[in-house]
Amino acid sequence: MSKQPFENGSVNRRTALGALLGAPLLAGVSVAWQDPVSLEEAKRIAVVKKVSPSVVAVVTGGGSGVVISPDGYALTNFHVVQGQGGALRCGLPDGILYDAVLVGLDKIGDVALIKLLPRKDKDGKDIAFPHAEIGDSDTVKVGDWSFAMGNPFLLAADFTPTVTFGLVSGTHRYQYPERGMFEYTDCIQVDTSINPGNSGGPLFDMNGKLVGINGRGSFDKRGRVNSGVGYAITLNQIQNFMGSLKSGLLVDHASLGATVSTSNDEELERPQVVISNLISSDAERRGLELGDEITRLAGRRVSTVNQFKNVLGIYPKGWRVPVNYRRRIEGAGTQTRQALVRLMGYEKRELDEDGRPVAPGKPPAPKPGRPGQPMPPGKKPEEKEEGPPSPALKLYEEKPGYANWLVNKQRRDAALAGLKAALGDLGAAAGVWTVKGKGFLGEKKLEAPVSLAWSELAQGKPEVVSARVDGVDFSLEPLKPDLTAQALRDPAGSGGMLAALHLLRLFLAKGDKAFPQGMVHGGETPLYPPLDQDPEDWWPLRKNAEVLEGTLGGSRALAFLVEEKGADGKAAVRLACLEVWLSPDEDPCELHLDRVKPVGGGRSMPHLITVRHKGSNFLRLEAETWELR
Amino acid sequence: MGIALGLVCAGALALAQDPPLADVIKRVDARLVKVYGAGGVRGLAAYGTGIVVSPTGHVLTVNNHILDTTELRVHLPDGTRLLAKVVAIEPELDLALLKIQDSTAPDDMPHFDLAAAAKAGPPKPGTLVLGFSNQFQIATREEPMTVQRGILAGITPLSARTGAFQVPYRGQALIVDAITNNPGAAGGALTTRQGELLGIIGREVSNELTQTWVNYAIPVWASVDLTDATGAIRKVTVSELVEKKEKYKPSNPADRSREKAATVETGIVLVPDVVERTPPYVDYLRAGGAGLRAGLKPDDLILSVEGMTVPTIGAWKDALAGRKPGEPIRLEVRRGEKIELITLTPDKPAAKPVPAPAPKPPVPPAR
Repeated sequence: MSKQPFENGSVNRRTALGALLGAPLLAGVSVAWQDPVSLEEAKRIAVVKKVSPSVVAVVTGGGSGVVISPDGYALTNFHVVQGQGGALRCGLPDGILYDAVLVGLDKIGDVALIKLLPRKDKDGKDIAFPHAEIGDSDTVKVGDWSFAMGNPFLLAADFTPTVTFGLVSGTHRYQYPERGMFEYTDCIQVDTSINPGNSGGPLFDMNGKLVGINGRGSFDKRGRVNSGVGYAITLNQIQNFMGSLKSGLLVDHASLGATVSTSNDEELERPQVVISNLISSDAERRGLELGDEITRLAGRRVSTVNQFKNVLGIYPKGWRVPVNYRRRIEGAGTQTRQALVRLMGYEKRELDEDGRPVAPGKPPAPKPGRPGQPMPPGKKPEEKEEGPPSPALKLYEEKPGYANWLVNKQRRDAALAGLKAALGDLGAAAGVWTVKGKGFLGEKKLEAPVSLAWSELAQGKPEVVSARVDGVDFSLEPLKPDLTAQALRDPAGSGGMLAALHLLRLFLAKGDKAFPQGMVHGGETPLYPPLDQDPEDWWPLRKNAEVLEGTLGGSRALAFLVEEKGADGKAAVRLACLEVWLSPDEDPCELHLDRVKPVGGGRSMPHLITVRHKGSNFLRLEAETWELR
Repeated sequence: MGIALGLVCAGALALAQDPPLADVIKRVDARLVKVYGAGGVRGLAAYGTGIVVSPTGHVLTVNNHILDTTELRVHLPDGTRLLAKVVAIEPELDLALLKIQDSTAPDDMPHFDLAAAAKAGPPKPGTLVLGFSNQFQIATREEPMTVQRGILAGITPLSARTGAFQVPYRGQALIVDAITNNPGAAGGALTTRQGELLGIIGREVSNELTQTWVNYAIPVWASVDLTDATGAIRKVTVSELVEKKEKYKPSNPADRSREKAATVETGIVLVPDVVERTPPYVDYLRAGGAGLRAGLKPDDLILSVEGMTVPTIGAWKDALAGRKPGEPIRLEVRRGEKIELITLTPDKPAAKPVPAPAPKPPVPPAR
């Protein structure tokens, strides 16, 4: 029997029972018998000790944070770093004050992603940071124990965090936004003490897994200190935004394009969430109607407006999520359907860094005494010190609409480089491109020969893209001045296949340079396969994709890049889809690209091209020959 | 050795038998309702919490402002919204009993057996307790209540600090270390770790002297003694309120212990009781009364009754309650700079209250 049986932070009942049974035999011997309560305590102490080194004291702004990766990414609240600029200073329990750079911001969700700058070892290599292990916050249950760590009242002069312990009081809680920000959706409610200065700090489960970021509390008459009700943003929500936060974005949350209300029908035995208003949106285009009862959103059951907002609130703008709904049809009972809906943005207007609308206008005054207010930072930010500029500033570039424009550019360039590595140098092939193969047309999948051709890209020569489908010729010269709206959308029903193919060629050949303003990294979003038949449930079929966005003329192109194992078993980037929007109010033409194979000259091209529009496949081309001149 | 081994194992098993907290919480939550009524102004919440105490939908809650409406609603744990009505009130316990009105209401609702809970009696201070309520209206419809954990810090009569708290309830209260008494929490449940009902979470109250907040619950076994005009003592209990339901006869608020008919006549008239903590100064003494006979003088300050300090007029009245005519009472009195010991032998109370004469200016102390 070890005196310290739980050095590794784990205990099982057998060990405990062994200790219990062994105890009487050893009575009188100097080994102390440990009762189960002491064992639990020992386990708790070990867990706190284990996670402690990852807890950040955000000195600039006066709050807390937590390191989540060995290269120094850390999470905190937006309201902690608000107004502090791009360079921050953070203390870790090792007693060292680190420089840190702002990476991504989520104003509505009250999250900031920052990155601590590592120290170097004697060989000049970065020293890895101790970091918290991210847990699945959906496994957190009411009645679970939890502990918060951080810097309440800025007590940690030497950056040693304070730990508070308590019960999970509620899960999937909704807390209304304040001034258009700090909407806490699907959050964890705890009676663990959360005080000013705790903002941005970690909430751990009893296995030491990071499940939340503490940031709000309900206050009333007792003042803005812990009154038994604190809220933590779930890590699962933050994970949905992580791909976009890491791209230096000011991320936006989502709205459905429809407002819902809990049915007021007093006769109803159960509450229902019913569409009460619908605006021109993807939801409308996907066939949702007034009066439809929404039963599930992104796979989760909803029956109250709070639940609806909870589920909607954890997803970023632009994500496609399945919406299950029930419709009463006269004489035919009710029908249950699923639609795959692109979520709209949440922010109605642009907000500046302090959350004020950019357009002149009075921000609404905060309502006093309202529950669920963000914890104020522990104290006012210090006076800016004179001295050498922070090394973090070298990693930061300001641009309206971005948290850190430099990060966005770097990530965009890395994605483009990955694509180039996968497909070879397509820019050098400035001549005619052709692809021929077997086509399958429409829902009936009628087989017919199909060929596509692109003219050479040369100064002063017209750019033409053409297609021969089952003997019928289509062609488009996108830069022709008197182009009709219909010509741009040819062939009919494709949503603009020729225009999309044109942008595909430009993007593959020129990358970022295909677009006058260049491209931006749009974060990460789910992508669904172009199935011939709608599946029972889209949600499990999603794949995470990085998005690059570019605008040319009135069209917007979104390139979806997924990382997967190439033929050689190594990770490779695949351009899985190019979405081309000829108008923001119209469904795009989607070119889904797969089966990338070498075509000679060190280049590779997709050998399965699926043209998709309005939720169904217009054309599926199984390429037999590619020619790139 | 065998015995020791047995004991140790039994201890381990008892620990293992504690049901998971999540299960306990679900069971309690299924027996609670959200209450919506009057309020929404001047910081008064229009929402509260209630405890289901009968299969047909009787709900126990705190007798507060939200009940002051004809549109009282409760939301059941499954989200069903139903109308409710106040059927009985007990001001001494600060509790009200509601009944869900809708004909569609279920008649087999999960509920707490209050009589059984009351029989279990007071828990020991130091017990781990759970507080359940819809504080801050965090939950709507079917969303579960807020649950908090705390330690039972003590069981003490709130009446002992009459005047310090503006709480109608003056019986024994369960004091907890958790911040359970937030807006909307009144009427919530305080339970054991096993989910057994201990008390009804009270109002948001603060000690007016120290400005500190007190988190309390009215115990399920709460009982307040009232003395009626004949001197008979009536016990007011939570169990009776819940058992008699619509037939429950509330105590007359005028019967409150402070105003209750005196069982003795002292012939002492104190200064007017104008503030919460008015000290018991003698204003004047009735001619031929017991006070005059015992040698009390106007401006005397009564300090204690039978060794118990009486800092306020309320405490003085409480101290006299239940005393018998003809039985001497020892008083400690401050007169100028001196403490006097006085024995008062009270008379029978007059059949009719003696009309108080017009107040006179205080008579200077005789020297």
